[in-house]
Amino acid sequence: MNDLHVLCRVAESNYVVSAADVLQMESFAGATKVPGAASEVAGLVQIRGRVVPVVDLRVIFGLPAIEPTMDSRVVVASIGERTVGLLVDSAREVLKIPAAEFQPPPSVVAQQTEGMVKAVAQVGTRLLMLVDLAKVIGGEQRDGE
Amino acid sequence: MSDGFEAADFIVGFIAEAEEHLASANANLLSAEEAVAKGQPTPRQVRDLFRSLHTVKGLAAMVGVEPIVDIAHAMEAVLRDADRAAGRLPPGSVEPLLAGIRAIEQGVRALAKKKPVIAAPQTLLNGLADLRQVAGDQGVSSAATSLPAELWGKLSAAEREQLVQGLEAGQRALVVQFLPTPERAAAGVNITSVRERMASVSEIVKVVPQSVPATADAPAGLAFALVVLSAASDTVIAEAAATKPEELMPVRLEIPASPEEADSGLGDELIDDELGRSGFVRVEVKRLDDALEKLSALVVTQFRLGRVVVALRESGADVRALAQVVGENGRQLRDLRAAIMRARMVSVAELLERVPLIVRGLSRVTGKAARLEVATGHAELDKAVAERIFPAIVHLVRNAVDHALETPEERRAAGKPEVGLVSVACFERSNNQLELTVSDDGRGVDAAAVAARAGAPVPATPEALLDLLARPGLSTKTEVTKTSGRGVGMDVVRRIAVDELRGELSLATTPGQGTTFTLHIPLSITIVDAFSFVCGGETFVVPVSTVEEIREIDLTKTVRGPDRRKSSRAEPDRRRAPRASDMIERRGQAVPVLALDDLLGLPAPDTSLRKAIIVRRNGEPFAFAVDRMLGQQEVVVRPLEDALVRVTGVSGTTDLGDGRPTLVLDLAALGDSLFVASRGVPS
Repeated sequence: MNDLHVLCRVAESNYVVSAADVLQMESFAGATKVPGAASEVAGLVQIRGRVVPVVDLRVIFGLPAIEPTMDSRVVVASIGERTVGLLVDSAREVLKIPAAEFQPPPSVVAQQTEGMVKAVAQVGTRLLMLVDLAKVIGGEQRDGE
Repeated sequence: MSDGFEAADFIVGFIAEAEEHLASANANLLSAEEAVAKGQPTPRQVRDLFRSLHTVKGLAAMVGVEPIVDIAHAMEAVLRDADRAAGRLPPGSVEPLLAGIRAIEQGVRALAKKKPVIAAPQTLLNGLADLRQVAGDQGVSSAATSLPAELWGKLSAAEREQLVQGLEAGQRALVVQFLPTPERAAAGVNITSVRERMASVSEIVKVVPQSVPATADAPAGLAFALVVLSAASDTVIAEAAATKPEELMPVRLEIPASPEEADSGLGDELIDDELGRSGFVRVEVKRLDDALEKLSALVVTQFRLGRVVVALRESGADVRALAQVVGENGRQLRDLRAAIMRARMVSVAELLERVPLIVRGLSRVTGKAARLEVATGHAELDKAVAERIFPAIVHLVRNAVDHALETPEERRAAGKPEVGLVSVACFERSNNQLELTVSDDGRGVDAAAVAARAGAPVPATPEALLDLLARPGLSTKTEVTKTSGRGVGMDVVRRIAVDELRGELSLATTPGQGTTFTLHIPLSITIVDAFSFVCGGETFVVPVSTVEEIREIDLTKTVRGPDRRKSSRAEPDRRRAPRASDMIERRGQAVPVLALDDLLGLPAPDTSLRKAIIVRRNGEPFAFAVDRMLGQQEVVVRPLEDALVRVTGVSGTTDLGDGRPTLVLDLAALGDSLFVASRGVPS
C-alpha cells in the first residue's frame, strides 16, 4: 500500500483519496452536461485527449452544487477499468499517512455514509476521511446484463 | 517484425494464417460437396483447396509441426490426384477431407494453447491414402534433375517443368539457401527482401522453407531454399541472398522430363499466388487503430486551425492565402483518412467464410436439409463493424435453419423442394452504408404464435412484429433447442445492429413462403459526417446519415394537440414528460415536433423560429426543434463507456476543436424512448 494521499476539501470537510488511485488533478471550468444522467454527474471533461465523466462530490455528499471557483479541482481517479473525475472544492496537498493511522469510522457514520467513508485518521488538528472510490461512483452496470 | 526473431513469433503468425486457410478450405469443401456426391468435377474448389493445404503444409513445416505437415501432405496428395482427374474428387472423399481439416484445426488450437500437438491419427492418414487408390494414383515419376529429392518433392508439376525447360534452354539453375538471423532481420534482410532481390537477378522457381537443426548460423532452426534460374554471376546471386558464392548449389539436368508430367495447371497458379502474396502485409488491428487515433487528433487540430482563421478574418486580417492552405490541408486530411479507412476494410465474403460450416452443422443437428447461398460481391466493411455484426449474422442464419425451415417431410407436404434455402446477400447502399439480408424460404413468422407467447395483441405491422420478436428472452419454440434456444434472441441482433452500430433492422415475412431480415449498417463507425447545431445554448452534433431533412419551422404555427401534461387527468409521471403533441405538416403527412431543449431539460430560446431536424425511427418521422444549425463537418466519435454517462439518446462525444467534449446525439433513439414510454412498455 502506498502511504501517499491526496487531500481534498468538500465544503468544510477534509477527505483523502489514496494517491495510488489518482491519475492527475486538473482545474475545473465547467463540463459538458449530459442530459438524462444522474444529478451527481457534473458532465464530461476532456483531459489530455480522453473524455472523462465528472461526479460532483458535493452532490453525492448531499450538499448543494456551487459554481466552479479558481480552487475547484477535478481529481481524476482510476477505479478498476474505469476513469472518473471527482469534482471537489479544492485539492492542494499530498500527505503521507501510514496505513496504521487509519481507523474504521464510527459504525453510525459508516452506516449513514453508506460505506463511502472507508476509514478516518486524525492528522494534527484535522480529522481526515478516507473515501471509498468504488462506493462513491457507484457500480458499473451494463445495460441489458 | 524486426527485433525479436523467435520461433514463438512465427507460431503466432502461423496460427493466424493457418486459421484463415483452414476456414477457406472448409468453405471450398462444403461448396464442392453436392457436386462430389453426383460425381461432378469441381476444378475451382479443388485448386483452392490444394492451395490452402499446400500453404498450411509449408507453414507447418516452417514452425516444425510434423503432425500437421503429415495430414496436410496426405490431403494434398488426394487433391493433386483430383486435379489431374479434371477436378473430380473421388466419391466419399468429402468426409475424410473434412476430418483432415478438423484434425489440423485441433493441432492449430493445441499450438495456440502452447500444448503439444498429437501425432496424426493413423486411421485418418489411412483413410486419406485409401482415397488415393480410389482415385487411381499415377505416382510421381522420378526426378529429372539433380535437385535433392526433398526439394524436388516440393515442386509442383509446373514448377518442375519450369525448371527443366529453363535448364534445357541453357539457363543455369541453382539452389540458394537463406538463413534468417536476428542480425539480418535487424538490418532489414529477411525472406521477403531476399525474395525481392532474388527476383531482380533471377527467375524464382520456388521458395521452400526448411526446418534445420538450430545452430549459430541458423538460430531459428529455419532455412529457406530458393530454387532459381538465372544468367547472373554467382557473386551477384550470393549477394542477393546474403550468402557466399561457394554456398550455391548448381542443379543439372539428369534425365529428360516426361511431357505428361506437366499436365497440372496447379503449379502456375501456385507461383502466381506466391508472387501475389508478397504484395500483402498482415497488420495487427491495434496498429491501424493507433494510426486512426493519431489521425483523429490531426482532424481536431484542423478544426482548431479553421477557428483561428475565422477569428483572424473577423479581426480584419487578410487571411486569403492562409485559408487556402488550411483548405488544402483539410482535403489532404480527408484523403489520408480515406486511405486509412480503406486499410481497415475487410471483405464481407471473408467475414462469412465460416457460415457454410455453421449451416452444415445445424442441418445435421436439426435433421433439416438446408442449402446456403452467399452473395456478397466485393462488399467490404470496417474491421470493427465486421467484428460486431458477425454474431448477429450468425444468429439470423441459425434462426433461419433452426426455426424458419421446415423438416424435409413438412416441406414435401407443402409442395416445396425438400432442401430449404438460406441466403445471405449484401450490397453497398451508399458510400457509407451496407445493406445485408438474411432470408429463408421457410414457414414464415407466425405472428399470432409470437403474440401469444409474448402475451401481447397480434401485431399488425412487420415493425410491430419485430418489436415483439426483439423482446428479451422471447423464443417462439416451446422447448429449448440445442442450437438457438439459449436465451439469446432477436433482442441481441437488434441491440448489435441498432443500438451498437446505429443501423437499422427490418423484417418481411410471408406465411408459408419465408422471411427476410434486412440490416442496414454503417461501413465504418469511428469517423462520421455530422451536422452541428445549437439547442438550449449548448452545442450538439448529429450524424448526417441519421437525418432525413432539415427545415425551418415556426413553433407558433405548429398544430397543437392536447397537452396531457396539463390535463386534469394527467398522472404525476406524465407531467414531467416532454410535450409531444405538436405537429407539422410535411408532404401531406403529420409529423410530431419535439422541442429538443424541453426534451433535454435545457432553457428555451426567446424566439419561436427554429430549425427542425427530421429523423425516422421504425419508419415514423419525428421532427426535433433546435435553436440553429452551425454547420456540417466530419467528426471523430468516441463512445461513452462509463455507466455514469451512458444515457438514451447520446451515442458518444466528439471534439469540435474547442478542447471540450461535444455530445453526439442519437435523435432516433430519443424519439423512440418517448414512443416506448407513451405506449407504457418498459424500455
